[in-house]
Amino acid sequence: MKSALTWEIVAQCSRTKARVAKLKLPHGVVDTPVFMPVGTQGTLKGLTVKQLEDLDCQIMLNNTYHLGLRPGKEVLEEIGGAHEFQNWKRNLLTDSGGFQMVSLLKLACITEGGVEFQSPHDGSKMLLTPEHSISLQNSIGADIIMQLDDVVSSLTTGPRVEEAMLRSIRWLDRCIIAHKKPESQNLFAIIQGGLDVNLRRRCIEEMKKRETPGYAIGGLSGGEEKDIFWRIVTLCTDLLPKTKPIYCMGVGYTEDLIVCSALGVDMYDCVFPTRTARFGNALTSKGTLNLKTSKFSQDFRPIEEDCDCLTCKTFTRAYIHIHSTRETVGCHLITIHNVSYQLRLMRNIRQAIIENRFPSFIIQSFKDLFDSVDKYPKWAVNALNSVNINLTSESKNP
Amino acid sequence: MASTFSFELIVKPDRCFRLGRIICWRNKERKVMSTPNFLAYTVRGSVPHLTPDNLREIPVEALEIPLENFLDIQPPPSSLYPHGAHKFFNFEDFMLFFDIRDPGEFKKASFNTDKIVSVSTLQGVCKITSDTYVKYINSYNPDAVISLADMTTFEKTPGLKRIKKSVNRTLDWLDYALANIKEGIQVFGAVVGHNNHEERIRSAQETANKNVAGFLLNGHGLGATSRERLDLLKISINNLPNDKPRIAYGFENPVDILRGIFEGIDIFDGSYPSKKTEEGNALIFTLENEEFISDDTEKSLLLYLHDEKYKTDFRPLLSSCKCYACRNHTRAYIHHLLRTREMLATVLLMSHNLYHYTQFFKKIREHIEKNRFITFVDQFCQRYDDTCESKTIYQIQ
Repeated sequence: MKSALTWEIVAQCSRTKARVAKLKLPHGVVDTPVFMPVGTQGTLKGLTVKQLEDLDCQIMLNNTYHLGLRPGKEVLEEIGGAHEFQNWKRNLLTDSGGFQMVSLLKLACITEGGVEFQSPHDGSKMLLTPEHSISLQNSIGADIIMQLDDVVSSLTTGPRVEEAMLRSIRWLDRCIIAHKKPESQNLFAIIQGGLDVNLRRRCIEEMKKRETPGYAIGGLSGGEEKDIFWRIVTLCTDLLPKTKPIYCMGVGYTEDLIVCSALGVDMYDCVFPTRTARFGNALTSKGTLNLKTSKFSQDFRPIEEDCDCLTCKTFTRAYIHIHSTRETVGCHLITIHNVSYQLRLMRNIRQAIIENRFPSFIIQSFKDLFDSVDKYPKWAVNALNSVNINLTSESKNP
Repeated sequence: MASTFSFELIVKPDRCFRLGRIICWRNKERKVMSTPNFLAYTVRGSVPHLTPDNLREIPVEALEIPLENFLDIQPPPSSLYPHGAHKFFNFEDFMLFFDIRDPGEFKKASFNTDKIVSVSTLQGVCKITSDTYVKYINSYNPDAVISLADMTTFEKTPGLKRIKKSVNRTLDWLDYALANIKEGIQVFGAVVGHNNHEERIRSAQETANKNVAGFLLNGHGLGATSRERLDLLKISINNLPNDKPRIAYGFENPVDILRGIFEGIDIFDGSYPSKKTEEGNALIFTLENEEFISDDTEKSLLLYLHDEKYKTDFRPLLSSCKCYACRNHTRAYIHHLLRTREMLATVLLMSHNLYHYTQFFKKIREHIEKNRFITFVDQFCQRYDDTCESKTIYQIQ
C-alpha cells in the first residue's frame, strides 16, 4: 500500500539488533529509536507547544477516542485537523481508539463488526468499526495512524487469542480500504497473537503481505511476565521486514526502552513519564525521586545535576517540593523534566549506537539504575543475553 | 553594600493621580518599576500556572510573595536557602515584595494580640510574632516588605477602642520592623484606621512621620460600596506625603483600579488576573481611548471560555493582543482545554490575563503622560461600569 514516509537506517549496532534511523514523516524528520510522549486530549499535560519544541520533541501522540468525543470530528474537520487545532507543527500519531474503549469502558463488547460500547454521555449503544476509526483518524490528520485491532488482555489464553489475531487481520484489510489519505497519513498494522509464538508468526506472515508503511507490536505491556514479553518482542523484530519502522506500544520505563532498543524496536509511547509527574515523581538515571516527600524540603540541588532542562537549570528540589501536587507549576516543572529525561535517554541511545558503543552504554546505564548487579531484573539479563550482551559478567569487568 | 530605593514622580498633574517610577539599586543591579502598576500575585512562590519561561514572556516588573504561604513549617525550609528569595524562586530580575497575608485571598484567621498576628496556612491558623516575621524576612532578603498590620478586616463593626488599638499595634510593629529589618530591604508601613476618619488620619500621619519607603492601604472589608471604600482610603491618602509610593489591596476590576489611580494610588495587588483565570475568564477590555472596534466582545470586560458558543470560534482571545496564547491559540482550543480539564487551559488563560493586565497599566501610564487619562477613565467607566460588580455612579469632578 501507499506510504507517506521514508525510512533510512543510519547506523546499526555491531552486536545487538539496535539501529538508528531517520524516519521522514509529513511534519518533519523523526530520529529513531524514539520515545513519543502522550498528549491524550490534544495537549501534553500542561506543556505549551513551544516548550515541547524547545525539548526537541519530534512526534507526539493524541488519542483518537478522546478527540472523537471532544472536540469531536466536526470541529476538527472545520479547523483542518489536530495539528491546526493544537497548533503543533511537528508530527502526530493517533491510536485507533479501540484500546481505550476496552480499557476505559467496562461495557465494551467486541463483535466482527467492531467494538460495541455504551456512550459515556447518554448510555446509548455505539459501535466503533474499523471504518469509523479510520475516518475519525483521517479527520484528525495524524502523520501515523493505527489500525483498529481486536485487543485482548495479554493474560488471556485459549481460542479467544487466536480469534482476536485473525480478526485483527480482517480489520486491517477493512482499515486499508477505508483509509482516505494514504498519501499524507501512514497506516500501521498491529501484530497480535498474545503470548503465543505461533500465533504471532502467523499474524506477521499475513500482515507483512499488506505492506503497511510500518508495524506495531500490540497486545503487550498488560501485566504479562517480562520474560515472556521480551521473547515476543524479539520474535517480532526478527520476523518483521527490516526496511520498516517497528513500534512497541505502551513501553516507557528506562530499562524497557534500553532493552527493547537492543532487540531492534524503533518507536515507543507511554503515559508513565507524564502521569507519574503529576504525583510528584521525577525520573533520573539513578531512579525515581518522589519530590512530595519531606526529605526534599531542604534539598537545594537540582533534580539531576547534568540535566539541561528548564527545570534543572532553574529550580532546586526544595522549590519543586513546595509546589509538587499542590500547584500546577510543580507538575509542569516535573513534566518538563520527565519528558526531557525520556528524550535525552533516547538521544543517548542513538548516539551510542552511532558511535558503536551501545553495549557499554547499556552496561553503564544498568549500573546507574540499580544499586548492585544482583538487583538487575532477570528478564533484562536474559533479553540482553539473547543479543550477545552478558549484563552480569560485563558489569563486573569494567 | 550600597543599596538605594527611590520613588520619582514623572508627571504630577493638578489632580491626585500621578506617573512615577521606583528605582531600586541592589548589589549593583538596577530594577525599575513604573507606576501606576501592580505586584504580580504569587502562590507558594510562583505566579499561578506559569513556569519561568512563560512568565518571562510577560513584562511584569514586580512580584509579591505572601509569607503565610510558607508558614506551615517553621522556620520555612525555603528561608534556609543561603542565596535569598530572588534566587530560590527564580525571581532575580523582578522587584520582590513580601507581606504576611495573601493580598488576594484574605482567609479569616484568628484574633491578633499585642504580640501576635494570626495567619492562615496549609496546616490551619498559625500565630506569628513581630520578631519572627522580621527574622524570616531578613533571611529571604526581598527588595521590600510590608510591615505587619493589625487588620480589622473580619470584624463587622469594630468599635473605636478596637480601631485605636489596631492603629497603635500597627505603629508599634512598624517601629520594630524599622529598627530590625536589615539594611537593603525597604519597609512599607501599613495605614489602618478602619472606617473612623480621625483614626485613619492619625494612622496615616504617624506612619508618614516614620522612615518608611512607602505605604500600604488595605481596601479589603472596607466600606459597603467601592465608592465608600475609596472615600475612606482618600482620607488616608490626603494625609500621606506625595513623594512616596502607595500600594492598595482589594481593588479588583479595571473600573475600580482606574478610580483608585485617579485618587492617587500607585500600586495594586495583582490577584485579579489569577482569579479570572480560575473562573475560566479571559480579560478583553479595551485599552484605547478611541471608540472600540466592535465585535461580539463589545462592552464586556471578560470572555467566559466555558461557554459552548466558543466551540468553533477559531479567533484568538483578543485579536489585537500579542501574548503567547493569542499568538498561538484559538478560543475554540482553550474552550476544549477547559471542557476536558486540561492544565494547559489555565496556563494559556493566565498567560493572556497577566499580559493583558500589564498592557492595561502600560496604557494607563501612557494616557497620564499624554494628558488624556481623564478622558480615558471617563470613556472606560461609561463603557464598562455596569458590567462591574460595583454599581456606584461615579462622576469626575
